[in-house]
Amino acid sequence: MIRIFLFSILFVQVLFGYNYNSLLLKADATIFPKIMLMDKKIKNKLIDNKIIYTIVYDQCDYETAIHVKEYIENTFQKYMDRYPYKVDLAEFSHLSLATKASAFYVLKSSTENIKKAANIARQKGIISFSYDINNLKYDLLFSLVIENSTILYLNKEYLHTNNIDFVDSLLSMVRFIGKKSI
Amino acid sequence: MQKRKFESLSFKIISSIILTSVVIIIGIFLSFETINKKAFYNVELQKAKLIVKTIEPLVAIDIYLGMQNKMESIVKELIKNKDILSVKILKNDKLIYEVKSKNKYKSLFIITYNILQPNSKKKIGTIVLDYSNHNYEQLIYKYTKLLVIMLVILFIISALLSIYIKNILRPLRRIARLLQDFSPEKKLKIKLMKEDNEISLILSALNEMQEKIFDFASKQKDINAYLEKEVDSKTVELRKQLFIDDLTQLPNRKKLFNAIASSENDRALLILNIDDFKEINDFYGQSVGDYILIEFAKELQHFLKDEKNIMLSRLSGDEFALFFQHKPSEKSFMRVINSLTKEIEKMVFEYEQNEIFIRVTIGATLDSNEMLEKADIALKLAKEHKKYFLLYDKKFDVKRQYKENMEWVQKIKSAIKEDRIVPYFQPIFDAITQKPVSYECLIRLIDTDGSVISPYKFLTIAQKSKLYPQLTQIMLEKSCQYFQDRDTTFSVNLSINDILDVDMVTYIQKCIKKHNVSNKIVFEILETEGIDNYVEVSSFILSMKKLGCKISIDDFGSGYSNFEHILKLDIDYIKIDGSLIKNLETDINAQIVVETIVDFAKKLNLITIAEFVHNQAVFEKVKLLDIERVQGFYLGEPNRDI
Repeated sequence: MIRIFLFSILFVQVLFGYNYNSLLLKADATIFPKIMLMDKKIKNKLIDNKIIYTIVYDQCDYETAIHVKEYIENTFQKYMDRYPYKVDLAEFSHLSLATKASAFYVLKSSTENIKKAANIARQKGIISFSYDINNLKYDLLFSLVIENSTILYLNKEYLHTNNIDFVDSLLSMVRFIGKKSI
Repeated sequence: MQKRKFESLSFKIISSIILTSVVIIIGIFLSFETINKKAFYNVELQKAKLIVKTIEPLVAIDIYLGMQNKMESIVKELIKNKDILSVKILKNDKLIYEVKSKNKYKSLFIITYNILQPNSKKKIGTIVLDYSNHNYEQLIYKYTKLLVIMLVILFIISALLSIYIKNILRPLRRIARLLQDFSPEKKLKIKLMKEDNEISLILSALNEMQEKIFDFASKQKDINAYLEKEVDSKTVELRKQLFIDDLTQLPNRKKLFNAIASSENDRALLILNIDDFKEINDFYGQSVGDYILIEFAKELQHFLKDEKNIMLSRLSGDEFALFFQHKPSEKSFMRVINSLTKEIEKMVFEYEQNEIFIRVTIGATLDSNEMLEKADIALKLAKEHKKYFLLYDKKFDVKRQYKENMEWVQKIKSAIKEDRIVPYFQPIFDAITQKPVSYECLIRLIDTDGSVISPYKFLTIAQKSKLYPQLTQIMLEKSCQYFQDRDTTFSVNLSINDILDVDMVTYIQKCIKKHNVSNKIVFEILETEGIDNYVEVSSFILSMKKLGCKISIDDFGSGYSNFEHILKLDIDYIKIDGSLIKNLETDINAQIVVETIVDFAKKLNLITIAEFVHNQAVFEKVKLLDIERVQGFYLGEPNRDI
């Protein structure tokens, strides 16, 4: 019942913000934190021994962000794997290098905002996940598409960041994508 | 001797080859079993494991991320491998996906592998892979086939090799069979082989050896025949020499012993000895002596030519024996002896216009036991008693005396060996001062129990057994050594034999020089012996006097010596015989003789010594007769030390 209620709210929200696919949001909320944990250098990204999974959103997508946060918190009971975690929300306008984050989950926004979030993520050396696959061309790292099967896309140009080192098996199952092919 | 078991050489070689082959095959088989088979198994197992390990990370991510569609495509791809029979994916022990191959193989590996969460060691599932054992079995089959082929090949090689070796060695068997008939007299026909190899070399060497053996055997046969002939003639000669006397050609002592030993009848024996045969030898020469022995033997043979019962033999130099094989009556025995004696008395041996007569002494026994010894005892007693004939009688009992003498000889020898011949020293006193002025060294034998044995018991036997010179030397050495550092004179007794023995005289001279006692030593010589061998004794005294020694005539007055003659010997002392001294206090004749001796001695400045002074009365009389020195038990007994 709670889930139905949440989804109905989400549809309401769609009327006021960007359009979101609830199934994709749910898949992102489930898979992206796990992909973050496949980074061999995840320990370097802990903040106060915690993982801070920051959802970057546009003001109009606040509710969506909240719902995603709650979904994550329901999925991962206090721990992501063995690490305690916290899901933070950060508005594009407030986003800076000072923003505490082990990874960004970037919702839809303007090109500038997306670029800004991607730039900060690169500077901080953290993983950035994008709801929208099109935003990978602005240097976000991961995105997920649900077609006949679930496909995980990885921006190959952004892969060679010193502070990120994924387990090899992950790389064998992702689909690499470049700016030109998006 | 136990026959040795035949061990075929070809069998041994073939056995060795087969054994080696079997060992090699077993080795290969075992190594295959233990190493290769395991290795093959491991290879297949590793392949299966490698597949699982390869897909595990992919499956792990798919499970982890919940992207099962991905996992399915991986597994489907995997199942295309014909060796993979089935794949099961379990998430938290719950089967979430399973694929099975169409291939059906009964033998398979089951690999169970844990699926771990990516970037963590946390188990999130299990992959169960059924991998076909087909490749492994095929490999084993191929390998076993190869092994069997190898075995068959090895067996065939062994069999062929066996036949080949047997063929190679066959000529050796032929040679062995041929050689069984070999004898040095018969040549074997050994055919040479066509091939030029070791066996042909052996055959050729055998032929050469056969030739040499044949030559050697024929030579050896001639030599053997010659040697056999020589041995036969020598045997006859030696046998003759063994039992026949060379000179007279009569049966010898050994033949007589055999005749006595082999005869079991009552018998009699007669030994005759030619008197003074040594003088004949010395006077006429040994060849004349031999001539007389030969002629005497002939005469005896002639005398006994009709006496078949009597065996004549030559015992030793001048001794002949007449062995009566059947004991005659005493009367007929005596008749033979009397007629023999008369015959011998008539015998004249002519040599270079000299007529030589001989006399014989005869000892005989009618006792069959120990007859040789008994006849010999009779002969010796006959000689001692100057009889021409004596028949052995039990009462002679000479045998016991012989035994006793032999025991004494042994005793003396042991005493010499164990240094139990020692000098005892009896003091000779000055009659006036009654102080010892000299010592006479008297021989004593210390028995094994420590008792002291007087020379009267063993000296005569020592003289007979030729041990006397050794005793003299021991006495001289020990006495000289004893007195070399003592300031007194001492006297040592010498027998005439010692004086006549050149070696002994040399020894005496060396001994007194060695111990530096020439001015202390006095040699006592028996009056009777001195007179009998005046020349030799005179020479000895002269040589000793030159060294500074003094001479004493011992037992003076015991014989019937010419005083003047003996006193020319340049002597220093006269020791008056004990037989004159011991009864001096009562025997008027002895007093007169002693007084005469003393008077004579004083005129020649000789010192007189009275021995055997055994009591006070004799001592007083000795002093009264003005004898200067006295010796005897009354004044001092012989002792080990002075």
